[in-house]
Amino acid sequence: MVIAVVAGIAPPTAAVTAPEVDVSDTPYDWGESLTINWIPSGPPDSIDHYEIWRRAGWAMLPAPIGQAHSSSFARIIREAGWHLAGTASATDTVFIDSGLSSDSSYVYLVAAYGKRSIRISQPTRPARPRRQYLDTRHTNILLATILFISAVVFFVERARRGANLFIRRIAGLEAIEEAVGRATEMGRPILYVPGLEAMDEVATVAAIDILGQVAKKAGEYGTRLLVPNRDPIVMAVAQQVVRESFSAVGKPHMFRSQDVFYVTFSQFGFAAAVAGLMMRERPATNFFMGRFYAESLVLAETGNATGAIQIAGTDADAQLPFFISACDYTLIGEELYAGSVYLSRQPLLLGALKAQDYAKALIIGAVFGVVLLYLISPEIAELVRKAFG
Amino acid sequence: MKRQGPIILAFTIGMLMLVQFFTPAAFFKQAYNIILDWKQVVLGFTFILGTWSLIRYHYTKISRRRENWQYSYVTLAGLAATVTAALVWKTATGPYPWLFNNVQVPMQSTMFSLLAFFVASASYRAFRARTFHATLLLIAGALVMLGRVPIGAYLSGSVFGVKISLVEISDWVLNVPNAAAKRGIMIGVGLGMTATAIKIVLGIEQTYLGKTD
Amino acid sequence: MAFYDRMMSIDRRIIFLSVGLAVAIPIIVPLGFPVQVSEETRSFYREMAALKPGDTILLSFDYEGDVMAELNPMAVAVLRHAFSRDIKVVAITTYAGGTGIAERLLTEAAARYGKTYGIDYVFLGYNPDWSGTMLRLGESFKATYPTDQYGKSTYEIPIMQNVETYRDIALVVSISGSALSEYWAIWAGGRYGAKVISGNTAIQAILIYPYYKAGQIPGFLGGLKGAAEYEKLIDEPGMGIRGMDAQSVAHALMLAFIIVGNVGYFFSRRAQARQSK
Repeated sequence: MVIAVVAGIAPPTAAVTAPEVDVSDTPYDWGESLTINWIPSGPPDSIDHYEIWRRAGWAMLPAPIGQAHSSSFARIIREAGWHLAGTASATDTVFIDSGLSSDSSYVYLVAAYGKRSIRISQPTRPARPRRQYLDTRHTNILLATILFISAVVFFVERARRGANLFIRRIAGLEAIEEAVGRATEMGRPILYVPGLEAMDEVATVAAIDILGQVAKKAGEYGTRLLVPNRDPIVMAVAQQVVRESFSAVGKPHMFRSQDVFYVTFSQFGFAAAVAGLMMRERPATNFFMGRFYAESLVLAETGNATGAIQIAGTDADAQLPFFISACDYTLIGEELYAGSVYLSRQPLLLGALKAQDYAKALIIGAVFGVVLLYLISPEIAELVRKAFG
Repeated sequence: MKRQGPIILAFTIGMLMLVQFFTPAAFFKQAYNIILDWKQVVLGFTFILGTWSLIRYHYTKISRRRENWQYSYVTLAGLAATVTAALVWKTATGPYPWLFNNVQVPMQSTMFSLLAFFVASASYRAFRARTFHATLLLIAGALVMLGRVPIGAYLSGSVFGVKISLVEISDWVLNVPNAAAKRGIMIGVGLGMTATAIKIVLGIEQTYLGKTD
Repeated sequence: MAFYDRMMSIDRRIIFLSVGLAVAIPIIVPLGFPVQVSEETRSFYREMAALKPGDTILLSFDYEGDVMAELNPMAVAVLRHAFSRDIKVVAITTYAGGTGIAERLLTEAAARYGKTYGIDYVFLGYNPDWSGTMLRLGESFKATYPTDQYGKSTYEIPIMQNVETYRDIALVVSISGSALSEYWAIWAGGRYGAKVISGNTAIQAILIYPYYKAGQIPGFLGGLKGAAEYEKLIDEPGMGIRGMDAQSVAHALMLAFIIVGNVGYFFSRRAQARQSK
């Protein structure tokens, strides 16, 4: 490879050579970028920075470069139709040039700016950005997603046709009727906290689902239901759900907007407000359903101190120990998601739950299978892991 | 249309966000960026909704003289003072940072510090060796509690020539059984989240519309 | 009331008072328990130490005033480690209450090491949409934060000139009291290939172990102890190390109460067994 040197003075004693450059299509994009790689021209302390120059089509280095001073390098190369694509630091060896067209070819050269000289690579071969229609890094996720969606559709269809899909007994959900009944007998309200997260959290969706069922029970028994909220949108949804639930059991007059209310967005401000509510109103039954954080113990312990029966459910596994130690029943992880399905037994929701169960069985089987494979033949197991990982 | 509109919107945006993850096509990338921008806008409006809801709740409480209505004045005064401080004197200097550093932070820290006391009373009450599993939990909890603080290293030593390190035992408990159990729960939760997301996108789950049946 | 019944039903006010004293006294009278560094903290330190001068990190203050006592020591140690090695810091916060905290810590650390705002560090401020922020930063930092916390255009801030996406960030450091560190690992790490390390409260830290074992979060600081360990590694003792004595005594006291309760329970069961005979 011919080395082009821009000579202002004699070459320095530190070995700064012209970079060896290669260009390739940037993978997993829509044909708008190319990746330029080069081997470092010398130790990082001998290089000040790199410049990456681009020209559409095919090109050679302009002839005057060999005799030009470093100060005129940029002018000469621009006159020859090159454009500065970008710069890179002394330790970089990769540059991604974006904003290109997949209809054109491009050539590149890299100029290594030493302390006292510039070394310029030969232009690369022409390269054209290519479009990739599929991000193949996510193939395994795509396959798993298609499989899972298919399973959901399959089981939903089975449920719709009347197949009897079994769900095991979940003690916390069985206890809801008893808990609501207790509040009715004692003449005290029910407190329902639908978690601290927004409506885009799955745990909140599940909590609101269960709220609807609890509200129906409370409506049937004529028991007051208090629902403090940390998120204003969740409050709006909760109000709608409670209003509809009371109407569904013929008790629309029971709904009071001041019972389903927004407190504050502050985490511990919310916890303090709910703790105060528990101490003043002395609800006989507390429900903590949804996503909780550190305030979970404050809520659960305060409720425990008031003597309420407490049913909690969360997918935040860091908070499970606190709920388990302070509450009478706790729904762990996906038991919360199963809550509304369990209570309503709607075929569509039941089908999705069965799909989850089968997917989990598949994962458990895969884990055991790979562990067994590792014991028999680690090499084959590694191949399997790389194929699916 | 009132019911179908949001479901169609949820399906369209849900499918767009799902497909964009698997393809680098420019259209999907642009749609992805637009959706993320709009998400920020919607979230900004939730703060307005929240503030309005707070003001309305406490105003109603004061005007109808409900129980403890006097405290609603405190809430509204606090809101007004903070907003005024931020608008008039800005947030870098003046009463706003003073309120933050001398009122809000101490109050939040105090509430969080209650956990230390609650954990002590809850663990004293709950950690009883009633069954085999409870005993196992108690022993593991004790080892981790000691191993995670410097006193654990202080208490470690040799028993009959066998080196016993509370720190290493605690690390093993956290890295092996704890991590394994967490992974199991995470897989289950992940599948549940995926299933619920699919149900929402396909219109099976309509709780977010306030519909329960 | 039999002695074992008393042992099982200690008034919670006595427990609260004892815990209060157990925490307060060692703060006033330090005991000097040695801090042993864990492998997770060492891994965190290694990731930070592998950065070269001039590299840029994204430091996310994912907390506010409530967990400040536990997480501030970590944030301070990270900033001191970064600034002492001429590593640039792009800071954001995902909590409204984190704004004041981040500003104060950045200003104090910058003053200590003579760092200039806009050149050595920048504070982009608070964005309420944390999930959208994590995803959007993978597409464009400047589109996500068109201005910094003080209203200056990010296109004009020197440190932001070469920061477009996660590709230009050597390390994402999340200091979090919630599950946000996991989301950084999933979205910034899983989707955009960013390297993520985290500092977490002790409660959240136990959730990080699966990510740590899988290499998704190559190092993390767990609780005040993690902060103390990191302070020891960078030789900058602070509130982390100071808090260790109090935490040690408090843990030992809680264990003592648990033992007392169980001894009472054991004698109670023996008495019941005798009575039923």
